[in-house]
Amino acid sequence: MQFYLFGELIVLPTDVIAAWVSVIIGAPLALYWFTKKRYWPVVWDFATSTNHRKIGMLYIIFALLFFFRAGIDALFIRLQLVTAENEFWVFQGDKYNEVFTTHGTMMIFFVAMPLLIGLMNVAVPLQIGANDLAFPFLNAIGFYLFLTGGMIFFAAFFFNAAPNAGWTAYAPLSTYEFTSGPNNNYYIFGLQVSGLGTIFAAINMIVTILRLRAPGLKLTRMPLFPWASLITSFLILVAFPVLAIALLLLQFDRFYGATFFLGEMGHPVYWQHLFWIFGHPEVYILALPAFGIFSDIISSFSRKNVFGYTSMVIALALIGLLGFMVWAHHMFTVGLGPFANTFFAITTMMIAVPTGIKVFNWLFTMRRGVIRLQTPMLFALGFIPTFVMGGVTGVMLASAAADMQYHDTYFVVAHFHYVIIGSTVLGAFAGLYYWYPKMTGKVLDDKLGKWHFWLFLIGFHLTFFPQHLAGLNGMPRRVYDYTWEDGVFVYNFISTIGAFLMGASMLFVLWNIYKTHRTKEENVGPDPWDGRTLEWSVPSPVPEHPFEKMPVIDRRDALWWAKQEERSLPIEDHPRTSPIAVRTVQPLVLSAALTILSFGFIYGWVWMQILGGAASLGFFLLRAFNDERTEAYRKEEQDDE
Amino acid sequence: MNSKTMSKDLFGDKRMGFFIYLFVEAVMFATLFATYLIYTPAPQGPHPSEVFEVKTVVLASIFLLSSSGTLMIAEKGMDRRNIKMILTGLLITFTFGAIFMYFEVHEFHTFVTEGHTISTNNFLSSFYVLVGLHASHVLFGLFWMIVLLIQRKLLPYNLFKEKHKIFNYYWHFVDIIWVGILIIVYIPYLI
Repeated sequence: MQFYLFGELIVLPTDVIAAWVSVIIGAPLALYWFTKKRYWPVVWDFATSTNHRKIGMLYIIFALLFFFRAGIDALFIRLQLVTAENEFWVFQGDKYNEVFTTHGTMMIFFVAMPLLIGLMNVAVPLQIGANDLAFPFLNAIGFYLFLTGGMIFFAAFFFNAAPNAGWTAYAPLSTYEFTSGPNNNYYIFGLQVSGLGTIFAAINMIVTILRLRAPGLKLTRMPLFPWASLITSFLILVAFPVLAIALLLLQFDRFYGATFFLGEMGHPVYWQHLFWIFGHPEVYILALPAFGIFSDIISSFSRKNVFGYTSMVIALALIGLLGFMVWAHHMFTVGLGPFANTFFAITTMMIAVPTGIKVFNWLFTMRRGVIRLQTPMLFALGFIPTFVMGGVTGVMLASAAADMQYHDTYFVVAHFHYVIIGSTVLGAFAGLYYWYPKMTGKVLDDKLGKWHFWLFLIGFHLTFFPQHLAGLNGMPRRVYDYTWEDGVFVYNFISTIGAFLMGASMLFVLWNIYKTHRTKEENVGPDPWDGRTLEWSVPSPVPEHPFEKMPVIDRRDALWWAKQEERSLPIEDHPRTSPIAVRTVQPLVLSAALTILSFGFIYGWVWMQILGGAASLGFFLLRAFNDERTEAYRKEEQDDE
Repeated sequence: MNSKTMSKDLFGDKRMGFFIYLFVEAVMFATLFATYLIYTPAPQGPHPSEVFEVKTVVLASIFLLSSSGTLMIAEKGMDRRNIKMILTGLLITFTFGAIFMYFEVHEFHTFVTEGHTISTNNFLSSFYVLVGLHASHVLFGLFWMIVLLIQRKLLPYNLFKEKHKIFNYYWHFVDIIWVGILIIVYIPYLI
C-alpha cells in the first residue's frame, strides 16, 4: 500500500498493515479484559516488585510472548518455502531477509535467554536457601533492560524497519553503505540494552550463589541447576561485554563514519571474530542451564541421586572453558589458514567429550531408578536422543575440510536447531512444568502436558530432520526460493508440516494454563513431585522470604534424606542478613529513558538523544537519593549506640 | 536477625558484585585495546607519532594518576570518621579529575582542528572510541563525586561510607585503565 503523508511517499507492505490492525483491535480488547477481571492491581504488583519469583515469572511471560511472535515468523518462513517457486504473501527478497533475521535474533536473545534467566530467578535462590537474589533492585533493573531491548526490537517491524542482515549481522552487509535504513539500528540498540540487562542478571546470580547459600550447603553439595547457572553466569561475564563493544564499533561505523568493518582499511572478518567470541560462548550460555535443569529433573523423577556428581560439575566447567576456544569454527570458510582451522576443529571436537560424559551420567542416573513418566521427565527423555543427534552433526561440522561443503546450507540450520531446541527449549519447557507449582501454586495438567510434548517432539523432528537432507543436497540457508530441479521440494514440504505441528503444540500450552487456573482452586502442597532439593521444602507458591527459619544442610539432597529418615532439617539460629526488598517504579523510569535514547539514535534525532541521555543520568540521581537500605542502616546505627 | 552483621553482610555482597562489574568493564576495555592494536598504525592517513603531543599526555597523566593518591586522603578520613579529611580528599580529587578532563577535551579539540577526525583513518577511529570511552568514565566519576558530597549529608554514616568505598574502587579502576592506555596507546609512539 502506498500513500502520501505530509508530502512524503509512504510505502507500507500489507503484513505491516495487518500487524497494526491486529494491535489496534487487540489492545483495547486486552485492556477491557484486564479491567473487567480487575487484574490491574496484580499487574502493578508484579511491575513494581523486586521479588525473585515475580521477576522470574515476568521474564517467562514475556519470553513466551516473544516466542509466539518469533514462532509466527518461523511459520511465515516455512510457508514461503513450502513448494518450489512459491510466492507467499510478501515474504520474498528483502522481506524474507527481515523475517529470518527477526526470527533468529528474537529466539536467541528474547526467548531462550529470558526463559532460562527466568527459571534461574525462580529456582536458584530456593534451591540454595536464599531468601532472594543478592541485589533485588538490580534484578528488577535487569528485567526491565531485557524488556526494553525486546520491545525496541519488537517495534522495528511495526515501523516497517525490521533488521535484515541476519542474526549475526555480518559486516559489511550490516554497515550503512549496504543497509542504510534504520533497520539494523534497531538490532544494535535492542541487543545493547538487553545485553546490559543480561550482564546484571549474571552478576546477581554469581553473588547470590557464592554468598547467600544456606549454612552447610557447600559448593560440593549444591544441586546441579545452581552449578550450571553459576558457570553460565561466568560465561556471560566474558561473552556479553565483547558483544557490547562489537555493537558499539558497528554503531560508530554506521553513524559516525568510522570504517572498522568495511572499506580499504577495515576488516569485515574482525566483526566475525568479535561476534563469535561472543556468539559461541552464547551457545553454551543457552545449553548449560538446560543441562542443569535436566540433571535435577532426571534425578528427581528416577528417585536416585545424580550419577557421577563430581564429573557432572567438572564437565560443565570444561564445556564452559572449551566454549571460549572454538569460536573460529564458524569461520572455517573465510580462509584463516590450515593451522587455525585445525586448532579450532580439534578444540570443537574435544567438547564432545565432556558432553558425552554428561549424557552417560544422565543415562546411569536413570538406570535401576524408579522412573515416573510425568511431563517434566518426558521432556528430559525427549532431550537426550534429540541432543545427541545435534551433537553428532556438530562433530561432522567440526571437521574443517567437510565443513566447506556444509557451510551455510540447511545442514547447519538443522544442526543448530537440534542443539538449541533440543537443549534450551526442551529444557525450558521441562523447567516450566517442573517449577510451575513453585511459581503459581498449581500443577499443570499432565495429560495436556503430554499432548504438548508429543506434538512438539514429533513436529520438531519432522521439521528439522529433512533439513539435514535438504542441506546435503545443496540447499543454502537464507534464500527464499528454490526450483523444482533442485530436488529439495519433498524435504521442504515435510518440514513445513512439522513446523505447523510444533505451532499447534504451543496452543496446548495456552489451553493447559487456562484450564489449570480455571479448574484447580486449591494450591498444592510444598512438594508435589516428591522432590530432592531445597525448593520443595517451602510452600507453593513461594512467599517472600521463605527461609525465615534457615535450614542447615548436612549433605547432598539433604531434603530427600530428611524425608526418608522422617525428620526435619535442623534450623540455624543466626543466619546472615537477607537482601532488602523494595517496591519501586524506578526501573520503569530507566526503561522510558533508554527507550527515548535508543529511538533517538535509531532515527538519528539528536535532540532525542540528548533528552534520553539526560533522563538516563537523571535515573542515577533518582536512585542515588532513594536507597532502600537507608532506613535499615539508620536503625542499625541507632541500635549500636 | 543479628543487626550488627547486617551492613557487613550487605556490603560484602555489594563489593563482590561491583568487583565483578569492574571485571565486565575490563573485558570491554580489553576488546577496545585489541581493536586499537589491530588497526594501529593504519596503512594510510596520519601516523600516531605525527598526531600525539607529549605535553598534553604527560600533564593529563600527572593529574589523573595523582588523583588516585589524593583519593587516599578521603579513604583515610573515612576510617577515622574525619569529615574534613573526606571533604578535602574528594575536592582535590574532583579538581584533578576536572583538570584531566580539560586536557582530554583540549587534546580531542586540537586533533579535530588539525583535521584528524574519527573518519580520517582506523587508527583515529579506534583511538577515539577507546580514549573517549575512558574519558566518559572520568566524566561519570566527576558527576558521581558531586552526588557523594550531597549524599554525605543525607545518608547514615555507614551507608555513605559504603557508597564512598564503591566509588573509590571505581576511580582506581579508571586510573588503571589509563595506565593501560598510556602503555598501549601513547608510549609506543612517543618514545
